[in-house]
Amino acid sequence: MEMGMRGDCLHNMASQKWLEMIQKAEKKCIIEDGTNVYCTLTMMLSEYLHTSGKQKVHYQFSPAEEMVEEYNWETGVLIRRAWRKKNTFGGEGQWDVEIGDPETRFLNLNQVGIKESSSAPFVSRRITKTSLEWRIRNLPYPLSVYTVKAEPESKCITVRTTNKKYFKKLAVPDLERAGLLPEQDKIQFTHKHNTLIITYQKPPEVYGLEKKVLQELKKIKPCKEGDMQCNPS
Amino acid sequence: MEYMYIVFVYLQAAAAARVQEVREITRIERIGAHSHIRGLGLDDSLEPRHVSQGMVGQLSARRAAGVILEMIKEGKIAGRAILLAGQPGTGKTAIALGMAQALGIDTPFTSMAGSEIYSLEMSKTEALTQAIRKSIGVRIKEETEIIEGEVVEIQVDRPATGVGTKVGKLTLKTTEMETIYDLGNKMIESLMKEKVQAGDVVTIDKATGKISRLGRSFTRARDYDATGPQTRFVQCPEGELQKRKEVVHTVTLHEVDVINSRTHGFLALFSGDTGEIKAEVREQINAKVAEWREEGKAEIVPGVLFIDEVHMLDIECFSFLNRALENEMAPVVIMATNRGITRIRGTNYKSPHGIPIDLLDRMIIVSTSPYQEKDLKEILKIRCEEEDCEMSDDALTVLTRIALETSLRYAIQLITTASLVCRKRKSTEVNIEDVKRVYSLFLDESRSAQFLKEYQDEFMFNEMEEEPMEVTA
Repeated sequence: MEMGMRGDCLHNMASQKWLEMIQKAEKKCIIEDGTNVYCTLTMMLSEYLHTSGKQKVHYQFSPAEEMVEEYNWETGVLIRRAWRKKNTFGGEGQWDVEIGDPETRFLNLNQVGIKESSSAPFVSRRITKTSLEWRIRNLPYPLSVYTVKAEPESKCITVRTTNKKYFKKLAVPDLERAGLLPEQDKIQFTHKHNTLIITYQKPPEVYGLEKKVLQELKKIKPCKEGDMQCNPS
Repeated sequence: MEYMYIVFVYLQAAAAARVQEVREITRIERIGAHSHIRGLGLDDSLEPRHVSQGMVGQLSARRAAGVILEMIKEGKIAGRAILLAGQPGTGKTAIALGMAQALGIDTPFTSMAGSEIYSLEMSKTEALTQAIRKSIGVRIKEETEIIEGEVVEIQVDRPATGVGTKVGKLTLKTTEMETIYDLGNKMIESLMKEKVQAGDVVTIDKATGKISRLGRSFTRARDYDATGPQTRFVQCPEGELQKRKEVVHTVTLHEVDVINSRTHGFLALFSGDTGEIKAEVREQINAKVAEWREEGKAEIVPGVLFIDEVHMLDIECFSFLNRALENEMAPVVIMATNRGITRIRGTNYKSPHGIPIDLLDRMIIVSTSPYQEKDLKEILKIRCEEEDCEMSDDALTVLTRIALETSLRYAIQLITTASLVCRKRKSTEVNIEDVKRVYSLFLDESRSAQFLKEYQDEFMFNEMEEEPMEVTA
């Protein structure tokens, strides 16, 4: 009983914190769809756009930290989320993709010096209506090799292989924001086309948090695509 | 007869192979005028040893340099200026380089020539400000990504044509995983330099590209018996290969300026100077650094700015330096010149060393004196070793005489030329004949001037020179 209550308390505190961060941030949003029609003020047209469009939101949490989210407007599901922080000396950092396919960075090898071979496994995260998903590509080994374990002490999920070829600690920021710890019974995984697919059943608290954030976003007035400042550099 | 012919062909082939080898080596490391200097050559009580670390003689100047070095290492006193003055060829640049080596990599040491200030891209004061800020370091803890693992395999492919960049792959593993990395050219060379082999446990800093060998993995302990007593064995790292660790970095203030003033977007891909940096940016950075210093997050490491041929700076630069040296974040400035009483650039006034008296007043002046014969002999011996040339004792004595009569630099030039002449006659040791030959082939400054005086009418645009350039007596 007490554990349950403490869990609830943690959950409330954490989700409250995340919600506050979202509310305090400076937000800009733009609705766009495939045919690049400008969104207008008339209700009819905007309804049309909403049904087939993407909503892109930009959050400026502080001068040093910003986030970009892309939602499917119709279903309210998050397609992409990326962060950018300024590094210690004030220089601009790179975009860190949290949800969605990683950004293809054509790193000049002579400048960077060392980078992972292109055949190395890489992780890409997705969110669906019912679950949190990880897809780890370039993993050729059969399903029996993998063990996926929830590690509540380190707030992550680890992927191990019996042939000691791959090991990864996966952080779950969505659970952290909702104040939850990863649980083993919610994890399922399969292997197809050289890809390991891990699915985590979305707990109801995460649903609730997502809904509240979407409500906040509805309050922002979307700007026309033409209004977006393009800083030619 | 046939036998002789075969031997002859073999010798030719061997000689060709040796020449090839020499070419390979010289591509990696070219021998400069001061590459034999490894330090100041002082002992623990700051007394200079006669011949040590590539430095010879010039005892009082080196002792003074040693005292200055201690002052720099303490780091508490900012903005001191030191002037090294002396005749040409008396070791001023050598002493400055010795100090740079003695300070080590952690202290920023910026070396520049006076004429470098004059650039079309930026004003003189901007060039000076950048040089000054390049000499002040900030030591700060930064979280950076490092790759730590045991080397499984290093594969380097040289291109078939012999020209072009090498392609490399490095396989690293931990107790749980294994990954292949692509390597850039610089990284491949660092790996070769550190002599990294399979079984070594290494740490690679992604930001700086630095490779450190932590030791050999225990699992490879039984592979080789002759690993030597120095080998340290460590555990194979656990967990992920790429980790975030807090590392202490030293960046110069100039680098911080550049990072903060760079325009966003694709221009950031182009490395290089941004030209003039706004004063507001610099003030912001100074404020931020002062803040970090108070919080204890960062440490200021004042370094050394060495300006060679300082008589090339003009009156504007000198006035700027007067003020800049009074800033509490100024580095130690070491200047060197060989001019006597000369006109200050930008004015019509004459002054010692071509430097205005008010700046001279702020400086500590260290003078260097011309070398004695035995010092010259030692220096020439060291250069012979550095340039890989074997010389007989009489040849060395003759060369020393030449150095006394003409100049040290001329004698140093004769070393490699004489060794080439000697190689032509298929011998390994340079003798007096070789030295005499190159002496007659190449003129030194005074003989050349004499020659001109005699044949001046036959040269184009000839005029009698008004007065010779004044040099510190």
